[in-house]
Amino acid sequence: MTVAAAGVQTVVDGSREPLLEFHDVTVAYGRRPVVWHVDLAIDAPCLFGIIGPNGAGKSTLLKAALGLVPVVGGRVRFFGAPLDRVRPRVGYVPQRETVDWDFPVSVMDVVLMGTYARLGWFRRPGSKERRLAAESLDRVGLADLVGRQIGRLSGGQQQRVFLARALAQQADVYLLDEPMAGVDVRSQEEIFRVLGELRRDGRLVVVVHHDLRTAAEWFDRAALIDMRLVASGPTAEVLTPDNLRRTYAGQLEILDEVGRAVAERGRTS
Amino acid sequence: MSGVGLAHNTLVVAAGVAAVGFAAGVVGSLCVLRKRALVGDAAAHATLVGVAVAFLATGRRDLPTLLLGGLASACVGLGALVLIRRWTRTRDDAATAIVIGVGFGLGIALISGIPAWGYPDSAGLETFLLGHTAALTARDAVVLAAVAAAALAVVVAAFKESVLVAFDAAFAAASGWPVTAIDCLIVVLVATMVVVGLPAVGAVLVTALVVIPPVAARFWTDRASTMLALAGAIGLVSALVGVAVSASRPGLATGPLVVLAAAAWFVVSFLAAPGRGWIARRREAAAAGRSWDEGLVIDACLRLTGGGASAHADAEATGAFTEEGAIAAAAGDRADGRAAAARAWSAVVVAGLVEPAAAGRWRLSTAGRATAAARRQRVEAWLRLFAEDPDAARGLATVDLTGASGLSSAIRS
Repeated sequence: MTVAAAGVQTVVDGSREPLLEFHDVTVAYGRRPVVWHVDLAIDAPCLFGIIGPNGAGKSTLLKAALGLVPVVGGRVRFFGAPLDRVRPRVGYVPQRETVDWDFPVSVMDVVLMGTYARLGWFRRPGSKERRLAAESLDRVGLADLVGRQIGRLSGGQQQRVFLARALAQQADVYLLDEPMAGVDVRSQEEIFRVLGELRRDGRLVVVVHHDLRTAAEWFDRAALIDMRLVASGPTAEVLTPDNLRRTYAGQLEILDEVGRAVAERGRTS
Repeated sequence: MSGVGLAHNTLVVAAGVAAVGFAAGVVGSLCVLRKRALVGDAAAHATLVGVAVAFLATGRRDLPTLLLGGLASACVGLGALVLIRRWTRTRDDAATAIVIGVGFGLGIALISGIPAWGYPDSAGLETFLLGHTAALTARDAVVLAAVAAAALAVVVAAFKESVLVAFDAAFAAASGWPVTAIDCLIVVLVATMVVVGLPAVGAVLVTALVVIPPVAARFWTDRASTMLALAGAIGLVSALVGVAVSASRPGLATGPLVVLAAAAWFVVSFLAAPGRGWIARRREAAAAGRSWDEGLVIDACLRLTGGGASAHADAEATGAFTEEGAIAAAAGDRADGRAAAARAWSAVVVAGLVEPAAAGRWRLSTAGRATAAARRQRVEAWLRLFAEDPDAARGLATVDLTGASGLSSAIRS
C-alpha cells in the first residue's frame, strides 16, 4: 500500500489513467543514449523522488517529459494524454542555475510568470493574478520580499521564488529539477513542507534529487535511475543495498553511508 | 521661403530619427536581455547587400525600396547565422563573425562597384555605411518614424512574452510558449530597427543604437519595463545629438556622432548610477570597510574595559586603556589592519565615543558604552537569525553589524 493513496482525494476525476507515465522512453544526445528504455507509471498523488548519481539522466528524463528535449523513442503521457493537451495542469521548477539572477525583475515579476500560460497572449496580469502570486509567495514564506530584485536573495530564497512561481501555475502535477541543490537545510525543510502540502491537496510532486540520505526520509515513492530504470516503488523498497549497488556502481563510500542510514531507518520503523 | 522649408525639413528629419533612436533602444533592450547583443550587429552588416541589390534591381534611390531590400538581406543573414550554428556546429560568436564579415564584404563590393557599372543615380549609396541625415527628405523621415512606431507597438503588445522568454526560456517552453517564434519576433524587430537606423547611423555603427542604450539603462534600474523606457530615452537623445551636430558642420557623418553620444551616456551611467554605478559601489565598499573598522575599535575598547560588566569599584582605573592598546587589539592580522584601526580610532575619538581618562589613557564615554552594547546586541541577533534561518540571514540586503553605524557619515557631514 502506498502512503499517498490512502485517504487523499485525487485530482484525477474517475479516470484510471496514470497521472504520469513514461512508456519505453529513450533519449539520446547524438549517438549516446542518456535515458534508456524507461518504463515508469505513477498512478496516485505522492511525493515521488527520481534518484540517481550525477549524469544518470534524471534531469533529462524530466525535460523529456516536458518536451524540452526530444525523445528518440517511446512516449510520455500526463493523465493519459500528450503534454500539449494538458499543459496547464503541469507545473515546472527548473534548476536554479539555468537563469541569470541579475536579470532586472522583482520577486513578484517572476512569480507572476507562473500565471502567464493561463493568461495567454498579450493579456497582462491583473489584480487576480497578483493576488495569486502574493498567496504563492506567502506559502513559501517570502511574502515580505515581493519587491526585491531577484539577485538580492540567498540561494534558498531564489529556489523558493521558483517554487512560488510553480504554485502560481496551479497545476496538478509538479516536476522539480534538483530543488535542493545548493540550498541550506532549513530551506530544504521549508520546500518539502510546501511539497507535502501539495501532496495532501491531491497533487503529484515529482522531484529530481541526488541526496540519498534525505531521499529515504522525504519521498513516499521513488525511482532509482542510472540511464536505465533500476527500480521503482515505495521508497523503502527501492533504496535497498542491492538496488543502490546497481545504481551507484563504483561509488562505494556513498553506498556504505546510505547502507547505514537505510539500516537505521529499518530498525526505527 | 526656401529657408523656412529647409528648417521644416530638418525638423521633420530630426523627429523621425529621434523616433528611430527611441524604438531602437526599446527593441535593443529585449535583445540585450536575451543575451543576443551581437544579433543586431550581424543584421546590420548584412543589410548593405540588400540595399545594393534593391538599387540594382530598381535603379532608383527610393528609400523605402532600399530599406526593404536591406530588411530582406538582414533576415537572410540572420537565417544564415542560425543555419551555420546548427549545421556546422560553429559556435555562436564565430558564426556571428562570419555573417558580419561576409555580409559587409559583399555589401561593400556591390556598393563600391555600382558607380562604375554606369548607374547615373547611384551617388549617395555610400551614406548607408556611416549614415547621413542631411540626405533624408521629410517623406523619408515619416516612413522611418512610422516603422519605429509599429515596432514599438509590437514590443508593448508582446512585452510579457518577450521578457518571459528572455529570463527563463526553459520554463516558457515547458508552460507551452513557442520560444522559437518569440525569439524570431525579437530578432526580426531588431533587424527592422537596424534597417530604419541605417540612413541615420549607417550599417557599421547602427548596433550602437541597439546595444549601448540598453546597457546604459540597466545601470539605473532593476525593472525591465523601466529599463526599456530608459533605453528608449537614451537612444532618442543620442540620435538627436548626432543629427544636430552633423547638421551644424559640413562633412560630419551622423553615425559616429550618435555612437559617441550613446557612449557618453554609457560612461556617465556606469560611473554615476546609484547602486550599480562604479562610484556608488566604491563608496559603499569603502563605507562598509570603515564601518567594520570602527566596530572593531569599539568592540576592542569594550573588551579592554572589561566587557562593560565590571561593576566593582573604580572605573577610572579598571575601565581605562591606551590608544595603542585599543588600536592593536582592533588591528588583528590584516596587512593594513593597523592603519585602518588607527583611522577608525580617530573617527571614534571625534565622535566622542571615547573620552580621556587619567594618565594619558582613554575610556569609553556613555555614548560609547551604548554604541558598543548595541553593536553586540545586533551581532548576537544576527547570529541567532543565522542559526534559526540561515537563508533569511544570507538574504538580508543590508546587514549592519558594524555597530558604529552612522558614525562615518556623521563625521563626514
